[in-house]
Amino acid sequence: MLIFLQVAVAFALFGVLQGLKTGVDHAISETRADLLLVFSSLSMGDPLPLATLDQIKTVPGVRVAVPVDLLGGTYQKPTQEVLMVAISPDKDWTSAFTYDIRPGYLAAFQESRTAALASEEIASKYGWKVGDRIPLETTTVQIDGSMVWTFDIVGFFHDSDIGGGTEKILIQYPYLDAARLTRKGTVNHINVAVQDPGMAVAVADEIDRRFANSANETRTQSLRELAQLNMQSIGDLNFLVRTIVAAVLVALLFATATMMMQSLRERTPELAVLKTLGFTDRAVFLLILTEATMVCTTAAIFGLALAMIAFPFASKFVPGLSMPPIVVGVGIALAVVVGLVSAAVPATRAAQIEIAAALAGR
Amino acid sequence: MASILSFKDVSKRYHRGREEVAVLDHFSLEIAEKEFVAIMGPSGSGKTTLLNLIGGLDRPSTGQLTVAGERLDKMSGAELAHWRARHVGFVFQLYNLMPTISAETNVELPLLLTPLSRQERMRRVAAALELVGLLDRKKHKPGELSGGQQQRVAIARAIIADPTILVCDEPTGDLDRHSAEEILALLRILNQDHDKTIVMVTHDPKAAEFASRQLHIDKGQLFDASAPAAA
Repeated sequence: MLIFLQVAVAFALFGVLQGLKTGVDHAISETRADLLLVFSSLSMGDPLPLATLDQIKTVPGVRVAVPVDLLGGTYQKPTQEVLMVAISPDKDWTSAFTYDIRPGYLAAFQESRTAALASEEIASKYGWKVGDRIPLETTTVQIDGSMVWTFDIVGFFHDSDIGGGTEKILIQYPYLDAARLTRKGTVNHINVAVQDPGMAVAVADEIDRRFANSANETRTQSLRELAQLNMQSIGDLNFLVRTIVAAVLVALLFATATMMMQSLRERTPELAVLKTLGFTDRAVFLLILTEATMVCTTAAIFGLALAMIAFPFASKFVPGLSMPPIVVGVGIALAVVVGLVSAAVPATRAAQIEIAAALAGR
Repeated sequence: MASILSFKDVSKRYHRGREEVAVLDHFSLEIAEKEFVAIMGPSGSGKTTLLNLIGGLDRPSTGQLTVAGERLDKMSGAELAHWRARHVGFVFQLYNLMPTISAETNVELPLLLTPLSRQERMRRVAAALELVGLLDRKKHKPGELSGGQQQRVAIARAIIADPTILVCDEPTGDLDRHSAEEILALLRILNQDHDKTIVMVTHDPKAAEFASRQLHIDKGQLFDASAPAAA
């Protein structure tokens, strides 16, 4: 029972880690390949002049280009941070973003300069409804000297890009730029949707080439590239997962082998009796090996099943978390190996039991 | 009657530390088919060693040992295992049943080494349990049976494969007087009504009286040995 439980827990961990890796890989692969983000080459936080937008729109392969500025603020308390994403709601602007917005909300957003669309997560968190006026405290000074920006909630949106953060609202860039005192005519970056995802790299290179050796050199990256960079910022996930899994399996091997040796010592008289009945040394060896392998395999299947049951809940934190069949297959194969290796020595000892001595309790 | 068991000048020696101890020393014995032989002797006399040799659990150091027509002293470990499965049924003092399986499955164990179908195995198991009077307790685990009942299950397991010889090591050593007499009576039935050859080691003179022949062994030497009656 102890062996079963420890193997089950180990393989539940294996399943969750592999699922995490799969989920991350899935999230990156699902990232749109036709979206580019144009930043200043100095850093992602340095502003770009709005004037670069017109040049970018003339690059062959660019379908839509939308300027984006970012503003940080707090709602009611300093700890309740809200990110404001300021965009120009020009024609087809949504195609350059990963937002899902209902047409009614989209129309309402474009009708009012102080309109805001809240992400579903932040609206749920603060209980915002359509029609609410929300004041946000910022460090950006308005022309009238106030640092409190007030917006009207006109709808909600869902962002399918997991790297984009969830607690944000969309506001109108023209309103922001007109009302602020500083950084006028600048943006944080420009979102670009290309006509052909296969040409994304070429378009990105051309954009950067156009601004090379200018006062506003750019660095253009695809959304997918940025997602990969985000993942790499927490380290090599593949290496991390493999190292943890390897460490767990090695520890499991030793622990299982030790328990099996203990079990063998306790069962020596029973095995001796089997030999008196005519079971050969080879039969006893195979019996122990088969028993161990079946226990490990069954426990691994149980553990992997536990991991699969946990995924729907864990997906709320890491969307796309899943366990492809190959992971289940690898898990079961590893369980067989663990069973065979950990039982090798106990099985050999069992085969070597001297019947007379074992029955005499020596 | 034909001889089923023959020891010819058999010795068995063990190493205890640096010392070599001869437990059986130039031992000779003949046991006929269908005999019920009781072997008595003090502790350390070599009774269990003698039983282990008869049952193919050990090999003699020197000499010839023939049981059921085969030379056990010339067999390998695997050959002895196959031989045991065909020819020997063991009954131990402490029953040695598998505690986690039922009486029925315990009795079935020796038949798992045969090519019999499950249906045939179950039929034979039922017959054996009925013979020992425990068919109604077949689903009980050993822990749910009395000592006497456990020993009867052990006897059923010992006879299930129709062995040539039953080897019993103190079969009543752990039982009260009433249960012991029931077991001994059962062994006598197996010998007289079912022609089983039985070799039983015992400390108890009253148990030895159930046998048709009594042998005494001391310091590896046999006393009161008598040749089997001519066929």
